[in-house]
Amino acid sequence: MKRRGVFPFTAIVGQEDMKLSLILNVINPALGGVLIKGEKGTAKSTAVRALAELLPAMEAVKGCRFHCDPVQESFLCDDCTEKFHKDGLSDIETLKMRVVELPVSATEDRVVGTLDVEYAIKKGEKKFEPGLLAQANRNILYVDEINLLDDHVVDVLLDAAAMGVNTVEREGVSYSHPARFVLVGTMNPEEGDIRPQLLDRFALSVTVTGEHDRDNRKEVIKRRLAYEADPEGFIAAYQKEQEELAQKIVAAGKLLPEVTVADDMLDKVAGLAIDLGVDGHRSDITLIKTAMTMAAFQGRKNVETEDLKIAARLALPHRMRRRPFEDGTLDMEKVLAALEG
Amino acid sequence: MSNYNYCYPFAAVVGQKQAKRALKIALVNPKAGGLLISGVTGTAKSVLVRSAAMLAGSRKIINLPLNVTEDMLFGSIDLEYAVSQGERRFESGLLGRADGNILYIDEVNLLRPELLTAVLDINIAGENRVERDGISFAHKTEYTVIGTMDPHEGLLPNHLLDRFGLFVETENLKDKEQRKIIMQRLLDFSRDRIAFIQSYRKETEQLKVQIAKARELLPEVEISEAMMELVVQYCTQAFCAGHRADLYLLETARAIAALAERTYILPKDMEEAAMYVLPHRMRKPPEPESEEEEPAQEEPEEQEENTDLPDDADEAENDQENSLPPPPASQEADNENNTDENNDSNENDKKTPDSDPQINSSQEDKVDGIDMHFPIPKMILDMGRDQVNRKGSGKRSLTKTDLKQGRYVRAEIPKNKVDDLAFDATIRAAAPYQRHREKNNCAINIQQGDLRQRVREKRIGTTFLFVVDASGSMGAQERMRAVKGAIFAMLQEAYQKRDKVGMIAFRRKVAEELLPITRSVDLAQKRLAELPTGGKTPLAEGLAQAFISLDMLKRKEPDAEPVLVLVTDGRANSVVQEGEDPVESAMKLAKQIHKAKITSIVIDTETDFIKLGVAQQIAAAMGANYYKLKQLSQGDILHIVRNIGI
Repeated sequence: MKRRGVFPFTAIVGQEDMKLSLILNVINPALGGVLIKGEKGTAKSTAVRALAELLPAMEAVKGCRFHCDPVQESFLCDDCTEKFHKDGLSDIETLKMRVVELPVSATEDRVVGTLDVEYAIKKGEKKFEPGLLAQANRNILYVDEINLLDDHVVDVLLDAAAMGVNTVEREGVSYSHPARFVLVGTMNPEEGDIRPQLLDRFALSVTVTGEHDRDNRKEVIKRRLAYEADPEGFIAAYQKEQEELAQKIVAAGKLLPEVTVADDMLDKVAGLAIDLGVDGHRSDITLIKTAMTMAAFQGRKNVETEDLKIAARLALPHRMRRRPFEDGTLDMEKVLAALEG
Repeated sequence: MSNYNYCYPFAAVVGQKQAKRALKIALVNPKAGGLLISGVTGTAKSVLVRSAAMLAGSRKIINLPLNVTEDMLFGSIDLEYAVSQGERRFESGLLGRADGNILYIDEVNLLRPELLTAVLDINIAGENRVERDGISFAHKTEYTVIGTMDPHEGLLPNHLLDRFGLFVETENLKDKEQRKIIMQRLLDFSRDRIAFIQSYRKETEQLKVQIAKARELLPEVEISEAMMELVVQYCTQAFCAGHRADLYLLETARAIAALAERTYILPKDMEEAAMYVLPHRMRKPPEPESEEEEPAQEEPEEQEENTDLPDDADEAENDQENSLPPPPASQEADNENNTDENNDSNENDKKTPDSDPQINSSQEDKVDGIDMHFPIPKMILDMGRDQVNRKGSGKRSLTKTDLKQGRYVRAEIPKNKVDDLAFDATIRAAAPYQRHREKNNCAINIQQGDLRQRVREKRIGTTFLFVVDASGSMGAQERMRAVKGAIFAMLQEAYQKRDKVGMIAFRRKVAEELLPITRSVDLAQKRLAELPTGGKTPLAEGLAQAFISLDMLKRKEPDAEPVLVLVTDGRANSVVQEGEDPVESAMKLAKQIHKAKITSIVIDTETDFIKLGVAQQIAAAMGANYYKLKQLSQGDILHIVRNIGI
């Protein structure tokens, strides 16, 4: 089957914060994902699916079910760890990072993995059959309508996201494997809340609204029609822009390890966190990592106040609630005052 | 893959002195009863526990995932052995593997309570008895349970709390320099974790040696008569139920002495031990009811007690001040909460426009803030036996579900046709017979009698429809603030239980659906905050609107068992149709609600000197459970009993 083309990422009109937050997560998969909130028909899913085209290639241990990273010895699966200590990991393949979708109706056994029934019946032995979390290792895990996900599946996601490891003690199998993924969720807030704990696991959050600008709205319709009339031609027209962005992402990823943060920048972040009275320390570190990734995206090796401002806009709004469902709003003026002061 | 060698080092964790200390104690002495770490998100709870793996010597940290199935937890038949040998042999589960090790439960408050009870009880008994899959087996096991939880996601019931020896809260550091150090270290760690771990190797090694030495010394730490006296004194003053506290206190003090390389216990060891062992098990003194604690001495919420028994928290706190060294942690928590309080009241002040509290039934609208300190009521739903398989999601009540959703908890021999096959259990059931069965190139031949059905469990939330009197009389004397506080508290409970909520307000001549029934407790809270009061009281309209909403719900979800919560002072004085009697028409509707078997609860807010008692009459007519607002603020438990109709 020929793969149907996807609407190009660069052809999406407006929604700059959403696009930026997705790009930052691709540049820095350790950032911690993004939650995209918005009404129906605001290109949320389109953007996530389009992102697949921009994902960089990565090296992985050949044949590994979890596509382990050969240079990260701390995140190897059991098999790879054994190989690593025996002969080293030399057999390597290049894979493209991809988007793994977790449908809302997914059952827990499919998410975490389960007993390989066929193998058990044929051989009389137990074997672990990996689930979606195995596929998602080092990839993007996309959950559409994440607020409608069953509670017990959310628990599993939280667990894996917190530890970077999926621990399975179910249905006759005891197994654990690396599960480090970029969690991307979309939700329509009108259909219900998302658990604060899950919310907190997202590094960034953005709210998308329909375009209010007349010209932009018209442009959205035009492009959609053009795409539907001739998908291939439309995609071809954006080919160059797509490639440029993909290259920029790769370059930023390479630059990222060299980005440094000056002490006065840390000072600003700590001061801001105290001013805003956020819970815990996850927000500080997320803020600083986002700013670093932003700097890399801009081709800089040092974090500037501008980066912090953008990072604050993306990383803080969903952390402003102090009680489970208190109304939290980010006072941008306060943020700017703290960051510029 | 449970490789804890690459975790963030214990010594590199900034602050969290108490949590670190408690963790060391738990590592030194398993008899101290395990440790529960409570704290808001992002305060290094799990980081600490995982980092402890490097300090535990030969012991391992065994992770108990929330979605564990019973066969894997308790142990079951050895499948491979059964197939090849045709014999039933026991294969250890997590609890067997945990023997002599540390059992770590993240988000322990979300673990199914019956499993948690079993995990804790088996440890106390030191033996795991298994009767399942045709296996009867018992084995010794002893482990140290370490649990972490975020109190926002719900609290543990007292009887489970009690089974943890040690309790500690993680702190949210407010110091700028400390926060900077945390960031810097985390950045260094994520840049090159192996180098980072290496840079703490010396400290890690020292800690490891300290703990190993203390473990060795522990059996030699003696307990003098005087120290036993002290233990008893502490525990009786804290009104601890049972004798578990005494032992935990003693063992904790021993660990503290051993950590200080002493073989005798000092009073200060006991003092420190009390800080970890007593806070979560203090009970209300069984004294005759002393008159109301004056509200001025409003104590900060102590997490482990506030929701269930708010009064206890107050009294236990006071009590503690009199008799025990005040734990520094709760002192700090106090400060925190105090600042919270200030913030909240500021906010509320902002929201409350100037108004004369004397004006009754004013025609002017006003918006009261929410009293954020209203205790969260404990609502117990007695809906009778649940025989119907229900659909829905939430946490209010556990129910068997016929959907192929919900958590697979165990397998059973099917009663009807198998529609949700438990593959693992089926294979286990078939395994022992394989030596005698005809097989077509397979290792296992499954026959009809082997089939097992999955039992799934899903928590079903309840739907709460709040019908709120927003007339002017409710706005008098800050009453609405308390009412909003009460509803807010119930909403919080509803959030934790994943209930659905809806809200109707009635005032002037109309009842208005502020919030259609939704799972978004968020929205409910927003609407509540914005709700103005003013005008007359069309009680009948409110009830009629509620009746319509619930009727619609019934149509959409025939399984739903909603609860109508009417909050009013009962002073009905407005009708839509001229000439009708406001109270009488309300009574009529109340009777209809009773007839329709809608379970309801009336919260009476009448506080005026001359009480008319209309709300109580309405409650009787509705077949409702009746409570006064004051009872709620005192933390009374709300028993909600099903309406069985007239």
